[in-house]
Amino acid sequence: MSVIKEWEPKILVFTCNWCTYTGADLAGLNRMKYPENVRLVRVPCSSRVNPQFILRAFMKGCDGVLVCGCHPGDCHYVSGNYFTRRRFMLMQRLLEYNGVDPARFQARWISGSEAAKFRDTMIRVSKEIKALGPNTKFREDWYVKEAIANEPSK
Amino acid sequence: MSQVNEMQAQLRKVAAELLENDTVGYIIGWGATRFPDRTTPVFIHEAKDADKLMWNEYCVNGLAKYVLDDKIKAKKIGICIRGCDSRAINRLIIDNQIKRENVYLIGLPCEGKADKIKCGKCAHKNPVIHDVLIGDLVAETPVTDRFKAVEDQEKLTSDEKHAYWKGVYDKCIRCFACRNVCPVCSCKECFADQYRVGWQGKQNNSTENWNYGLTRSYHVGDRCVECGECERVCPMDLPLMLQNRKMLKDINELFGDYECGLSEEDRAPILGDYDLSDRDEFM
Amino acid sequence: MLLDKKRLKEALAILSRDAKVLVPMEVDGVAKFTPWDGQKLPSLDMINTTLPPKDALFPQTEKMYNFTTGPNAQIAEVQGTEKQVLFGVRSCDARSIDCMDKAFLTGTFGDSFYSKKRENLTIIAVGCVKTGPFCFCDSMGLDPSSAPNADVQLADLGDAYAVTAQTERGTAVLDQWKSLLTEGEGDAPKPKCVLQVSVPEDFPKKLMGMFEHPIWDEVSKPCLGCGTCTYVCPTCYCFDINAEKHGHEGTEFRCWDSCMFSDYARMAGGHNPRPSKKERVRNRYLHKLAYFHEQHGQLLCVGCGRCVQKCPSNMDITRFIDMAGEAMNNG
Repeated sequence: MSVIKEWEPKILVFTCNWCTYTGADLAGLNRMKYPENVRLVRVPCSSRVNPQFILRAFMKGCDGVLVCGCHPGDCHYVSGNYFTRRRFMLMQRLLEYNGVDPARFQARWISGSEAAKFRDTMIRVSKEIKALGPNTKFREDWYVKEAIANEPSK
Repeated sequence: MSQVNEMQAQLRKVAAELLENDTVGYIIGWGATRFPDRTTPVFIHEAKDADKLMWNEYCVNGLAKYVLDDKIKAKKIGICIRGCDSRAINRLIIDNQIKRENVYLIGLPCEGKADKIKCGKCAHKNPVIHDVLIGDLVAETPVTDRFKAVEDQEKLTSDEKHAYWKGVYDKCIRCFACRNVCPVCSCKECFADQYRVGWQGKQNNSTENWNYGLTRSYHVGDRCVECGECERVCPMDLPLMLQNRKMLKDINELFGDYECGLSEEDRAPILGDYDLSDRDEFM
Repeated sequence: MLLDKKRLKEALAILSRDAKVLVPMEVDGVAKFTPWDGQKLPSLDMINTTLPPKDALFPQTEKMYNFTTGPNAQIAEVQGTEKQVLFGVRSCDARSIDCMDKAFLTGTFGDSFYSKKRENLTIIAVGCVKTGPFCFCDSMGLDPSSAPNADVQLADLGDAYAVTAQTERGTAVLDQWKSLLTEGEGDAPKPKCVLQVSVPEDFPKKLMGMFEHPIWDEVSKPCLGCGTCTYVCPTCYCFDINAEKHGHEGTEFRCWDSCMFSDYARMAGGHNPRPSKKERVRNRYLHKLAYFHEQHGQLLCVGCGRCVQKCPSNMDITRFIDMAGEAMNNG
């Protein structure tokens, strides 16, 4: 008996150590459920995220990337997320200009107490990207093959 | 004698004087090649060689980048600058790459050169900064179609955009001419040279080329002086300014009117700065 | 033997039956040798393609081995070489393949990846009718109208090509074309290059003695350190080997490298014996004009003029040869 596995997107989420990661932790403590296709990478600050991380993630087979940090004004390093804000507003537009669907790369502010917002965001993003299907744009050939191999048989 | 020839004569005279009275150590300008329709950067060290300097419609090459080659700067560097070069020099000063007192700027108002693509959208024909001006200032023509090509590109669908850029980056041979000629590419070591670190794979395919091309455009996009050198030097004639101007267009829309390198006390680079009142889309 | 120009498509179709035929064509604005589509006539009247034909033998990125890691690690050579025909190469590009043969196949070590491709390659050269503004091959000892190392030499007679087989493989091509060929002969045009460079006698040897000459400071100054000249050069054959890893499997590949790049000569530990553009330009020019001559008895520059045409700062190897010659005369 074989179980038909449904295609699940790979979503990479960069979470700031001081807010979003703590928020995710709180979601876990409260036994909140969020999609398993989300992978967290903890970074000291959302401004630690180099735009190249995002390009690299898409090249190496991620279907969606999300950058999360503290709300403006709450940055542990005072001004880090203000840089993040400018950086990724431009990055999002440049990616869209290059043909990457805007839903595939997003940014959100999620604080340490917003466990529910974290869960809701992950569910929403996961749904959106699942609807878009596997990303093949600017993906390395090897990962394109992998995506095709893992696609659910119709 | 035509105005261009007059300017050339004046340029040579000024250059000879500057070298004679030791104001500058050498002068960077344009000189002859074997071909009448091409010039090459020349470095004039002695007053008697000042006649090697040329000024005509084929003085296309940007010269600002060569200022960075001189690490010692024992004497002032004399450099011939047009509008685009002057903005590049300003940018280098703001970025702390050179000091204003280390360069002597010979301004040359420019009516546009033989390269129509490079000079087509030029909004600053007169040098915005100079120590001495050769010839007279020319009338500036306002540019109305600065972002026209970008807007057309934006109208395409997501898949069309991807197909377009994939085609572009398929052609790229990654010779890095666009990076090396760019006056604002001033990193001591480029990410693209650090193959062992893993920022950039060395294989040539459209994905790796896109990674390089997009990172380059993003990295220089907020400091781009729109000299068009990257596009001029590309041996594959790729539309690189189309990518750079997209960044500039968004910056103009999001953070206010922005043209880079218009004065020595310019705004900080957009991505190296922030404003509490910036628009927030990530709530 | 003559081949009527009207029957060129048929001739190419015959070759396409058992080989990939690469012809000079402009694709998306880039002139290069590209697989013949079976429809369009090759652009034989363009002087030189932007990209040289070296890609057919020495691709910019070439997969060498696939491997897996772990306890049952395996390495497998990437297989598969198809027959290729380079159609319509000019004398300069034909000579460049001769240079690459010397670099890859002579000496103590033969490059198996190159040799496999080379064994499966047929070169059909066409003599130049006219020369371009940047061509200087006759100054480098070539004849624009003949390519001695090509398998078949075509000469443009206006309505037809005079066809001459120069090797056994060339005779085989003529056999394939039997039905298309007619008896006849004609005088091929003998163009001369406009750009003339006087290469002094014993130039390579004398140049070797100029390693510390101040000329290098002067010629290298306009250089930007990009790889354009080396990537459009038909004889630049330097490569780098890298691996692409995906979890427990991966591919070892080699790709073009350029001696003009800052990381080219950098050693483990960070020392760089060629720290600035002076050393890099010197190395490139000496390799083209002296080192290769010392090893293989011929210049590595074939005079195609691509680097002269494409250099972003309009540096010019012919001007360097003139300057160096002058410096030699002045002691």
